[in-house]
Amino acid sequence: MKYNPTEADWIDYLYGNMSSEQVMRFEAYLIENPEAQKKLESLQEMRKWMTSVEDKEVIAPPLFITNAQNSFWQFPYAKTILSIAASLLIIIIAGWLTNFHIQTDGNGIRFAFGEEKIIEPVDAKPNLTNEEVQVLINQSIASNATALEQKWMQQQEELKKSVNKNLARTASNNEKFDLLVQQVASASQTQVQAYMASMQQQNLKSMQEYLTLTSNDQKAYIEGLLVDFAKYLQQQRNDDLRLLQAKITDVEQTNNQFKAETEQILTSLISNNNGRTLPTGIRN
Amino acid sequence: MAETLLDIAMLHADTLILRAKQGDQHAQGRLVQLWYKRIYNFCFKFFQDHDLAMEVTQKTFIAMCKSLPALQDVLRFKSWLYTIAVNYCREEARKTKNKKAVSFDLVVNPESEQSPNWEGTNVRHDNPEKVYQSRELSDILQQALCMISAEQREVVIMKEYEGMKFREIAEVLNISENTVKSRLYYGLEALKKILTGKNINKETVHYEI
Repeated sequence: MKYNPTEADWIDYLYGNMSSEQVMRFEAYLIENPEAQKKLESLQEMRKWMTSVEDKEVIAPPLFITNAQNSFWQFPYAKTILSIAASLLIIIIAGWLTNFHIQTDGNGIRFAFGEEKIIEPVDAKPNLTNEEVQVLINQSIASNATALEQKWMQQQEELKKSVNKNLARTASNNEKFDLLVQQVASASQTQVQAYMASMQQQNLKSMQEYLTLTSNDQKAYIEGLLVDFAKYLQQQRNDDLRLLQAKITDVEQTNNQFKAETEQILTSLISNNNGRTLPTGIRN
Repeated sequence: MAETLLDIAMLHADTLILRAKQGDQHAQGRLVQLWYKRIYNFCFKFFQDHDLAMEVTQKTFIAMCKSLPALQDVLRFKSWLYTIAVNYCREEARKTKNKKAVSFDLVVNPESEQSPNWEGTNVRHDNPEKVYQSRELSDILQQALCMISAEQREVVIMKEYEGMKFREIAEVLNISENTVKSRLYYGLEALKKILTGKNINKETVHYEI
């Protein structure tokens, strides 16, 4: 049968907990299985690495344990029980101080505070018969109906009076209103006429003023224009005259110069032909 | 694991336990002094939180002092004490399951001179590279421990760091020895898988233990 080690076997071999027979068997298995050999090496390596984690140094603090282990307060539910008891006591005292009662009878349970009032039973014997009660009810209904009818009639009369009064007041108001409308209409015609007349007068006046002002302005403008034109003409004339004078002067100068040049030429000609008869037969 | 004076004292603490059981407060105090570091480290490795570990450790010792008179067999004191600690650890883990908080220890800059890590280092004069690698591996391992299931974590810590026998672990957890071994096996495998995921392997860890 083929040996297949369990996890426990692996650990036993790893920590040296195996007998010599088991070790031989396990090692034979390792020789046969190189994979198992690798696994073992891996686990051994892991264990080796684990030694690198060192313990931390720590100082133990002093512990103070009291000996009151068996005291009443150490009992697990002591505080709860005591708190419930205290609550109940407070409720009982509060009930006693407020005179709290709980009563049960055929109608149910009744909770009450204060002293109980004893109510004497009322005599339940009827004084009137059914017919008498019916008569009383009928009388009461009849009197109520009469009273209501009277009241209604009174209110109706008051309403009628009030309506008539209002109608009369409305009619007089209408008359007054018509009168006022007529007055307003007549008054408005005369007023419109007066207003129109005044408007016409005002327009006429303003037109006159406007025309007067306009004609004055135009006159002044034309005068200014004429003066300017006259000045312009004068200036133009002066300029023309100056130009003419300059031209004449220039012509005069040119003429003089020509005259001088001609004289000079003539003089030179005369000096060159000293005593010779000119072809024309003229003697100098 | 080297036997220290403390371990020897623990082994010969039967008389102390008997006296504490009879109500001797001095003996109870001595017991607390003897076991405080072990229980604290167990809780610390379980939670990776100093405050929680301190709280659970104190609760464990208060419960120990109160319930000591009810202890039947003095020889089973160790497993009895760890049972109390495990129960409080589970209770606290249930309470803090939905709470999200950052421990003040994590806020402290580990590179700082004032850091508790520096203060707590007792191998400061060793090879700095070795110290750094060892501390780094230790941190990764502790993180990995927190990532495996609580059942596996309890067994791994008790076996690897508390040096308990399988019988004692089985007593503490009230399970069979085979279940303890099975949980330990799967716990180690899970740790290995987590470390492989973090690229920790034979090649990347170059230091002698």
